[in-house]
Amino acid sequence: MKNLLYLAIVIFLSSCIGDDFIDDRVDPEIRITSDIESLEINSTHQFEYIYLNNVGANESVAIDWSSSDPSIVSVDNNGLARALSVGVAIISAEFIDDENTLITAETSVRVENTTNGEDEDEEDEEEEQEEEEEEQPETRQGLIETTTFYTLTGTFTITEEGNGIRIDIEDDYEASTGLPGLYLYLSNNPNSIANAREVERILTFSGAHSFVVEDVGIDDYSHLLYFCKPFNVKVGDGEIQ
Amino acid sequence: MKNLTITLVLVAMCHLVHAGGPWPQPKGQAYIKLSEWWTVFDEHYTDNGMRDPNLTTGIFNTTIYAEYGVTDRFTAVLNAPIFSRSYMNNQRSGTTEEIIINGEAINSIGDIDIGLKYGLTRPGANIPVAVSLTLGLPTGVSSGGQFGSLQTGDGEFNQYLKIDAGKSFAIGSAQSYVSLYTGVNNRGQDFSEEFRIGGELGVGLANSKFWLTGKLDILRSFKNSDRTQTINSTSIFANNAEFVSLGLEANVYVTRRAGISAGFATAVSGSIIAAAPSYSVGVFYDMSR
Repeated sequence: MKNLLYLAIVIFLSSCIGDDFIDDRVDPEIRITSDIESLEINSTHQFEYIYLNNVGANESVAIDWSSSDPSIVSVDNNGLARALSVGVAIISAEFIDDENTLITAETSVRVENTTNGEDEDEEDEEEEQEEEEEEQPETRQGLIETTTFYTLTGTFTITEEGNGIRIDIEDDYEASTGLPGLYLYLSNNPNSIANAREVERILTFSGAHSFVVEDVGIDDYSHLLYFCKPFNVKVGDGEIQ
Repeated sequence: MKNLTITLVLVAMCHLVHAGGPWPQPKGQAYIKLSEWWTVFDEHYTDNGMRDPNLTTGIFNTTIYAEYGVTDRFTAVLNAPIFSRSYMNNQRSGTTEEIIINGEAINSIGDIDIGLKYGLTRPGANIPVAVSLTLGLPTGVSSGGQFGSLQTGDGEFNQYLKIDAGKSFAIGSAQSYVSLYTGVNNRGQDFSEEFRIGGELGVGLANSKFWLTGKLDILRSFKNSDRTQTINSTSIFANNAEFVSLGLEANVYVTRRAGISAGFATAVSGSIIAAAPSYSVGVFYDMSR
């Protein structure tokens, strides 16, 4: 009788909700989200950034800004850059995290003098070219790969559209129909849906299709993440490049 | 056809010593068993037969199984999970230990099976043959929890038609038997139909007070539905599930009629089904002895 009681206790305890741990560690990252290639002399530019911690969560931290040559471009503690003389300078953003790791991000800025008597036609031509380039929406590409034994493959393109993005999954896409409740996320952690943006449930298992995501910047996320909700398990991902 | 829960219940529990098989209960006699069946799995067989991880999931059923001889040829069968619990673990960050997805559980009655078995051969036949029809009633919860992924039933009414044949014989001084079965399960709610085949070999030791039974169960799906594309539950384990399962069960009579049992079964291959053993322990009362 005592043995039966022990057995009943063991069965009861094993029916309790426990914990599963996932390896969701990623390298912390500062991402400069308002890149600029060139500045006119005496103009200013406000650099924006996001800091993603060791699980890919967006965290508000104070970072240090610096310029490789303050005589060309100066930058204050708030990321406001001022073009002072012609040349190229590297703008750096730095932060030391809780683990004493130095996290850095850099971007190059070229300072130009547009009033120094250059040939005006040539200048106009360059401006037109830049304007054309600016009119073209930014795009990113990537490859979706399975991380399980379920079929999941295909290429994708992400394009800025309005105040959001459009994700175009290409013709070569194929996914197993064996998984129910398959969802697409935008994430900065390829192993977790924590802090991720849910896009939509997947109901297309082959061929081209698209998703429109509002209020998202093209540089806000690093990965597409395919996740099966019923099993709470990642099925595959695609790095946004 | 049934979902994972019920499928494994059948695998683990349907072939009991002196119950099930082609041997109907004698008129007015009964076999009753109260048991606990459970499986906890963190892997499953994918649709191409490989093993993939999933959040740890547990299913526990407290079940009453009963056979009653209405006549010497007709036996009424009841398989009633009177308490069924299904749960999923919390998912936590291995870095911060914070909960990413809250675990959850549901408790309810499970899907009840009622059936009728008819002996095609007369009682005492050398090779008894019986047909049975089992109706699976959707009395459990088919879509529980935040994502509808916890189940204690599959939400569909199914009809399982089966034929059993067997033979008793002696191995030395040990009474033994072998039985084979095959059947077709017609599922509702646009689930694929299933074909089943299997058998068991039982050996009675210690003057038939201790029975050891080995089991083989094979399930194949007709795959005439791809319902998993449009559902959002662990019925993935049900629809188009396939497996080859081996099991072992021990039954000990501690009195002339009452006894205890313990067993396990596991899928050695499969698709869209849990990749972990299931266990059962129980007490039974066998009026036919």
